[in-house]
Amino acid sequence: MNKTIASVLVIATLAVASVALSQSFGVQLGANKGPTQPIKFSHKIHAGKLQMDCRFCHYGAYKSQWANIPAMSTCMGCHKIAVADRPEIIKLTGFWDRGEQIPWVKVHELPDHVKFNHKRHVQSGYACQECHGPVQEMDVVYQYSSLKMGWCVSCHRQNLNDQKRPATMDCLVCHH
Amino acid sequence: MSDSVVFSRRDFLKLVGVGVAGAAAGCAKPPADKLYPYLVAPDDILPGVPYFYASTCRECPVGCGVVVRAREGRAIKIEGNTQHPIGQGGLCARGQSSLQGLYDPDRVKSPMVRTGTTWKSVTWDEAVATVGEKLGAARGRTLLLTGLESGSLRALEGAIAAAAGARHVMWEAFGYEAVRAANLKTFGVAGMPRYAFESARCVVSFGADFLETFGQPVSQARGFAAMRAKHEDGAGHFISVEPRLGLTGANADEWVAVRPGTELSLALGMAHVILAENLGPALAERGALVSAVAAFTPEAVAAQTDVPAETIQRIARLFAASKGHGLAVAGGIATQGANATALVAAVNLLNYAAGNVGNTVLFDRPLALDGLASFAEFAALTQEMADGAFDLAFVHGANPAYATPAWAGFADAFGKVGYKVSLSGTLDETAALCDMILPSSHALESWGDAQTAKGVWSLQQPGMRALPMFESRATGDTLIAVATAAGLTGSWGATAFDDLKARWAAVHSRFGNGRSFEQFWLDSVQAGGVWEPAANTAVRWTGTPSFTAPAPVEGEFALLVTPSNNFYDGRGANKPWLQELPDMTSKAVWGSWAEIHPEVAAKLGVKNGEAVVIETSAGKLEVPAYLYKGIRKDAVALSLGQGHSAYGRYAQSRGVNALALVPKGTDEASGALAYQGAAAKLSRGTKAMALYLQQAEKNQHGREIAQVIPVAALLAGSAHGNGHAAAGEGHGHSLGRLTEKGGILSEEVQQKPGKYTEPLARPEGYQPPAHSISAFEPKEKVRHPRSNPVTEGSYGKNAKHRWAMAIDLTACNGCSACVVACYAENNIPVVGPELIHKGREMAWIRIDRFEDKLSGGANDVRFIPSMCQHCSDAPCEMVCPVYATYHNPEGLNAQVYNRCVGTRYCSNNCPYKARAFNWFDYSAPEKTTFAFPEPLNWQLNPDVTVRSKGVMEKCTMCVQRILEGKGNARDEKRDLRDGEIQTACAQTCPTQAITFGDLADPASAVHAKSYGERKYWVLEELHTRPGVTYLQKIQRETTNEGHA
Repeated sequence: MNKTIASVLVIATLAVASVALSQSFGVQLGANKGPTQPIKFSHKIHAGKLQMDCRFCHYGAYKSQWANIPAMSTCMGCHKIAVADRPEIIKLTGFWDRGEQIPWVKVHELPDHVKFNHKRHVQSGYACQECHGPVQEMDVVYQYSSLKMGWCVSCHRQNLNDQKRPATMDCLVCHH
Repeated sequence: MSDSVVFSRRDFLKLVGVGVAGAAAGCAKPPADKLYPYLVAPDDILPGVPYFYASTCRECPVGCGVVVRAREGRAIKIEGNTQHPIGQGGLCARGQSSLQGLYDPDRVKSPMVRTGTTWKSVTWDEAVATVGEKLGAARGRTLLLTGLESGSLRALEGAIAAAAGARHVMWEAFGYEAVRAANLKTFGVAGMPRYAFESARCVVSFGADFLETFGQPVSQARGFAAMRAKHEDGAGHFISVEPRLGLTGANADEWVAVRPGTELSLALGMAHVILAENLGPALAERGALVSAVAAFTPEAVAAQTDVPAETIQRIARLFAASKGHGLAVAGGIATQGANATALVAAVNLLNYAAGNVGNTVLFDRPLALDGLASFAEFAALTQEMADGAFDLAFVHGANPAYATPAWAGFADAFGKVGYKVSLSGTLDETAALCDMILPSSHALESWGDAQTAKGVWSLQQPGMRALPMFESRATGDTLIAVATAAGLTGSWGATAFDDLKARWAAVHSRFGNGRSFEQFWLDSVQAGGVWEPAANTAVRWTGTPSFTAPAPVEGEFALLVTPSNNFYDGRGANKPWLQELPDMTSKAVWGSWAEIHPEVAAKLGVKNGEAVVIETSAGKLEVPAYLYKGIRKDAVALSLGQGHSAYGRYAQSRGVNALALVPKGTDEASGALAYQGAAAKLSRGTKAMALYLQQAEKNQHGREIAQVIPVAALLAGSAHGNGHAAAGEGHGHSLGRLTEKGGILSEEVQQKPGKYTEPLARPEGYQPPAHSISAFEPKEKVRHPRSNPVTEGSYGKNAKHRWAMAIDLTACNGCSACVVACYAENNIPVVGPELIHKGREMAWIRIDRFEDKLSGGANDVRFIPSMCQHCSDAPCEMVCPVYATYHNPEGLNAQVYNRCVGTRYCSNNCPYKARAFNWFDYSAPEKTTFAFPEPLNWQLNPDVTVRSKGVMEKCTMCVQRILEGKGNARDEKRDLRDGEIQTACAQTCPTQAITFGDLADPASAVHAKSYGERKYWVLEELHTRPGVTYLQKIQRETTNEGHA
């Protein structure tokens, strides 16, 4: 075995190990720092200052498994008139006029083998903030919770015997 | 050469740096996905919620009512419409796979014009202008050749053809000319009858494949299952008279292996017995009937048919004993030989003599085939084409270049037409001969309607917008555009949709009931159409046909060309699900084979899968042999539907086209193509051949996997009150396993070791796992544990349900619709023939075929749908080292894909072979094994994980549907209703053989069946305590005369 091969082996081993390490300790996308979005939409203004109900825009949250990002027509419902002269709104109007969809950057990402159902949780009375954090205080939305299985399970375990909204520990509920 | 490599500290640190930096640079997370919002939110679509659109299946001329399930604007599943009179909620394998026609990656992408031997893409405007100009110039010399059209499109085509001076000809390969001609002769009605199997008490089929392609298979299958469930007073017999036992015939109690081509004599022989012994009703036409059958004494018939006279008499008496509620069926491609019309007329006579016409043979809601050209008329048209009678031809919904024999000369004659335009959505054989292709949209993405049966107006609503990657247009729109470009005017709408609505004004005036048109239209679209109560047209015997005894087939072997349950006339061959779906006779996939009797094979020196050459006067084909005891020694059978020279990647160059062997000949009385009965020679082939069998072993080896119960034992059991315990008590007294003589084993005996297996011994101090209902639980639970949800342990405190399934083997006829439904629902990849040959098929449900007795006489072929049994004490769960498979509180045997590490221990330990392993990456687009090439991947169900390589998978009892159903109930703050949740297999089953539900609900249908009579568990002696309960197939003895 010569030195070159040994060097390659060392590099490879370390590379694999460091990737494994970083994966297992959760270098989470967007954790504590939201991605730069094409439009600087502020939840702090909408949900915080203006106290809009989350479900005004994310209307799927209580009737669909997906919360849904609002259609641009929802934005334009107000912003055709409201503060139409601000630079970010002008950007929005630009997208709208061009008939172009805003390429929002995904903040919360679940793999295909996890099926999370929004309506079940919202209908059980969970506030959006319990998972998404103090969105009403976020200028830039970031991923508040780890969204790891342990995080899901800890809540489910705590609420196993809840009379009003019993949780389940059955794997099939999310993995199918 | 030194083994030791010495790094200096400095070097090592450098390497560490490189390694970590490399990992950080090369393995950084890919950029985050983008989320694109709707520009304007559609009013009627909420992402994440399924929507349902009632429509009509257009895979064959029957037109069953369907409901399309769409998610996020994509059709992802198609199911039978329970409200619709055609199909009544069932859907066959071909209907299920229509989605793969919609998402066929080989669909024509845009209008194309031929330049020499290649195709060039053109814009719609250019194409329409070109064709319009041709249409304007070709006045009176235009041909519009289509498949069977029955609704507004037919009217539109007629109107445009009239304006253009064109001729509109409708032609189907399976046009059943003989049935129509015979009914005209004998009953004065030139149409199909409806066979009311549900009213019958005894069925004799003369080779009619009424559970596969003939007539209205789905409705007929449902009626047939109802007929077979009758077992009191000797009812429910099914006798199949045919030289080769097809899938339909395999369900028979008795196989009368008649000499090929002589079914006619046997029918008349039976009629002779009935008339001579006065077993039928008093008939005014008796004299005519008697004289027609005078020559067909049982003895004479026996000599012709190779069936003993006693058998003929016995069957005739059994048939007549149903007192006007027998049903003899003939017709369909499987009996379409040179005397096809005479055969149907003979069977009509038999039905009439036995008094069945008006009871089981009805003209109330039959398949409408009027206006369809016969093969002879088609041949005349071909001659006209060859004579240069047409300057322009449009072809739509027909593929005669594939579906007619070469001697019919279609390809050459078609070449003589000046300009040929195909409106096909795919590049099939006929489209390949055309000069221009104007691709039509698929039925699932376009509007339309159909009147496929008398009194039924079905609407075909798009389940989604037209696919964006294909520049296709609805056929009607194309025709209107071309007509407009040609300067034609007539009474049609501006678009096909307008035209459709305008033509529905007439339907509105009839069914409107005071509603406005818009309201009526919405109601009709929602329901899938409108229909009136079925009203029978009474018929009398009008004919005085004379019958001549059929001449025996001259050669050593008679060629039998069988219609395919999978591909129909070949139109299904481009759908990978149907290619992967095993043929239910041979269990072969992805190819062609010749069925020959093992003794014939031995004489030829051919083993199973080796090449055999079949030669007729028309041609010669070399195919792998399938040794089949269900065929006479003087016949060879070959299936239609394969051997395409075009038609896309899945169809092309696969198997052979059996039509190459069909010699020139028609049934003269009806002009039907004579598929059957050509003289054939067989010899040993030389080529290396591959026969891919999904199930090679068709012997149960005494394992009693698919069980039967003799009707006598069943009646005896009922008389003693066994099996009729009140459903609510959960105390169904088992009829138990049967002894070979039909007796019933006692409970004690059942606890003893099985014939091949030992029951599990309980180890000292064993504690049952908390998550499992186990055989080791206290006795009171072992008695009937399966109705209890798991309440032990912290996981199961809130469990209320115990999901279970009951499968009635009396109802299952092997049609395999469930298999395709499961592929569609659960994102199951298609793996291809080589992997199937290695036993690596991915199907979650399969139908096993067991041939317990397969020779003339009493017949015992059994079909058993087999999937994960969701064992309460599951062998797979015990051996999983990572807890990827476990028992859920509601009784499901769960498989967690992301937990699975692929040890395959579970599969090794599964006695049911219910598990499928992802040996390759079927979901990775960059791999050659990729099973979902764009846009097939559009069909994937977003509620089901697409599995990756190295993962085990299996039936989940459609857990995504269970969750959806429970979610809907919770949304509405109510309890689940029984039958609300249906698995994909149970939903589509034409015979409702599969019942799914909650065993913990004593009022549920599945509970009643699981604790009712005939129940058993497969491999019960293993004490796996399955959640799937089977109901034994009722077996009737037909050779015993006293029994009938």
